[in-house]
Amino acid sequence: MQRKVVFPQKGLPYWLLAPQLAITLVFFFWPGGQAMYMSLLLQDPFGHSVQFVGLENFRLVFADEDYLQAVWRTAYFSLAVTVLAMVPGLALAVMADRVIKGGTAYTTAMLVPYAIAPAVAGVLWLFMLNPSIGVLAWWLKHAGVAWNPTLDGSDAMWLVILASAWKQVAYNFLFFLAGLQAIPKSLLEAAAIDGARPFRRFYTIVFPLLSPTTFFLLVVGLVYAFFDTFGVIDAVSQGGPASATETLVYKVYKDGIHSLDLGGSAAQSVVLMVIVVALTMIQFRFIERRVHYS
Amino acid sequence: MKTPIRLLIPALLTACLSTAAQAQTEIQFWMGLTGVNGELLSRFGEDFNKSQSDYRVVVSFKGQYPDQRAAAVAAYRAGNPPHIMQMFDAGSGDMMSAKGSVVPVSEVFKRAGLQFNPADFIPAARGYYGVPNGDLLSMPFNVSTTVLFYNKDAFKKAGLDADKPPQTWPELISAANKIRSTNAAACGYTTAWLAWVMLEQFSSRHNIAFGTKGNGRAGADAELTLVANPLLARQVQTLVDMQKDKSFDYGGRSNDAAAKFISGECAMFTQSSGGLAAIATGAKFQFGVSQLPYWPDAKGAPYATTIGGASLWVFNAPKRSDVEFRGVAQFLNFLRSDKVMTEWAKTTGFLPATNSAFKAMQDEGFFAKNPGRDVPILSLIAAAKGDNTNGYRFGRWTEIRDVYHDEVEKALQGKQSGAEAMLNTERRGNVLLRAFERTVN
Repeated sequence: MQRKVVFPQKGLPYWLLAPQLAITLVFFFWPGGQAMYMSLLLQDPFGHSVQFVGLENFRLVFADEDYLQAVWRTAYFSLAVTVLAMVPGLALAVMADRVIKGGTAYTTAMLVPYAIAPAVAGVLWLFMLNPSIGVLAWWLKHAGVAWNPTLDGSDAMWLVILASAWKQVAYNFLFFLAGLQAIPKSLLEAAAIDGARPFRRFYTIVFPLLSPTTFFLLVVGLVYAFFDTFGVIDAVSQGGPASATETLVYKVYKDGIHSLDLGGSAAQSVVLMVIVVALTMIQFRFIERRVHYS
Repeated sequence: MKTPIRLLIPALLTACLSTAAQAQTEIQFWMGLTGVNGELLSRFGEDFNKSQSDYRVVVSFKGQYPDQRAAAVAAYRAGNPPHIMQMFDAGSGDMMSAKGSVVPVSEVFKRAGLQFNPADFIPAARGYYGVPNGDLLSMPFNVSTTVLFYNKDAFKKAGLDADKPPQTWPELISAANKIRSTNAAACGYTTAWLAWVMLEQFSSRHNIAFGTKGNGRAGADAELTLVANPLLARQVQTLVDMQKDKSFDYGGRSNDAAAKFISGECAMFTQSSGGLAAIATGAKFQFGVSQLPYWPDAKGAPYATTIGGASLWVFNAPKRSDVEFRGVAQFLNFLRSDKVMTEWAKTTGFLPATNSAFKAMQDEGFFAKNPGRDVPILSLIAAAKGDNTNGYRFGRWTEIRDVYHDEVEKALQGKQSGAEAMLNTERRGNVLLRAFERTVN
């Protein structure tokens, strides 16, 4: 059985597609193409001397020990941010799902962090954990923890991880809550009648049924940690100390804007482009199809 | 919601008329200063606008120097750079190599028919921003050098003589230790602008060439020579050792450490003399100023420190008219007048960039009345000159400074020694210099 909508005019579908295509062309293909072109050039900042150097910029990027370290650092950072944003998101959603009175108010309050700009989130955490004036830093000091994100690389890393994850908890919370509410109550009731305790019910029924949401949030979370945490890092640590918080996307900015190394920066952004395309493909291939919602 | 078109007509008419009445040429001026210093520079723009009616200067802040430079470069490539850009010392090498993008200020004045003699500027500034034929490429404006600020209250509390600040590094170390052992402050000493102070100014103070080719002034094929000068590694190692007991405490890159001194956390602080206004406004204690310490066992030390701060660059662009360049020259002329220069120097702690402004301040007894204000001048102008006290000129220096920061931070974290930090900085810095060399040739 075939049900195909056929347009009478040939031009109409193209016109309907045109706005989306125009946006994609202007905001993705054009800058993307520019980046690819620039990644093949060696030039001074002002553009007076432009030489074609082929893949040399890429070779330099991959031979650069700092870049390879930034790859591992970014993997660590992204994984930590994603996990730290998903676990509390799920826990809070499970609890919110049980709230009977004032559920909407609770849910709304939970969403506030998502509305905060990354740079502002970064500054909030920076203030709380500033060694001289921060409240949390004061507690840490009294608990005997030597806390100094200005000089200690792993302290600085935890600071940017916390600030980035905190912001994303709200997003995960919302999706988990929606996922939880879509689980048929009759299943849980049946399990309860069979004598399954809450943890068992969660472990054997809720969590497996949430798996599509979980996988979706995992990919979205990774993409967020990879690309959207620039504002947090710039506000909190500017990639320092000693490059301890310099993720791939921050390195693109630093090399391109601060150091005006346009070719190297463009090569790095092409690599990032490949990564995001790969992540999106994984999402479509494996998650959207295999972990399906039935 | 719709606004009837007839209601808009009067507004449109007024808009048209006012544009016609103004007919002023707009001069875009991008600055890299904030706080008290930025406010004063903005006010100079307004003063100039009130003083005449042909030009209107718009002073704007586009971010710290590196961000602002990136914005200006992008604007240049799009054909519409700012008329004047304030660029810090470290960016000078890149700007000088950008032939065609900038018009030397000497030429800007000449084209506008205004009298301009580079010899009017203090020699240290002339040497730094000039070319061999004597012309100035950019106009020195906020001229500074490194000084040591110290907290007199903390000195007294520690039992130190508040009128005898440390002159040498050994003296500073023992003062810092005393401050820590008596707990007069949470940290003994900190510094702003790590690379500027510990590499550039430190080298000048000891007459060290940290690069070949006259510190990069004689050609783009210069190389860094940090390892060949063990004093540089000794200095980093000194900080690393002091960091362990907080007799030195690292306060971050650029200007971030200023808060540590102003809050009273650290008792001594090396900073640009231009940091004075912020300290005077914020500090709740008595403070003194002294020259950058030196190692007494270094041959001939102390030498003069070198110039820092920023200068004003004039951009070229295809569609820029002679009228605009005349406006630029007029405004630069206004900025270098004794009236502006003396007010600038008195308020901010930067040095007067011209000889006549310097003399005017001397004549009215400013330095006699304000003890300590002559410290940067003594350090920059009166102290002994050597072959390597005229500053440096390397391309991609902003990036090399960050390499230095990166490696020294690793040393301060205990991951490497001061000597290893210098070895790595030299290696990574030379890679960048070779890349720079390829883009200029």
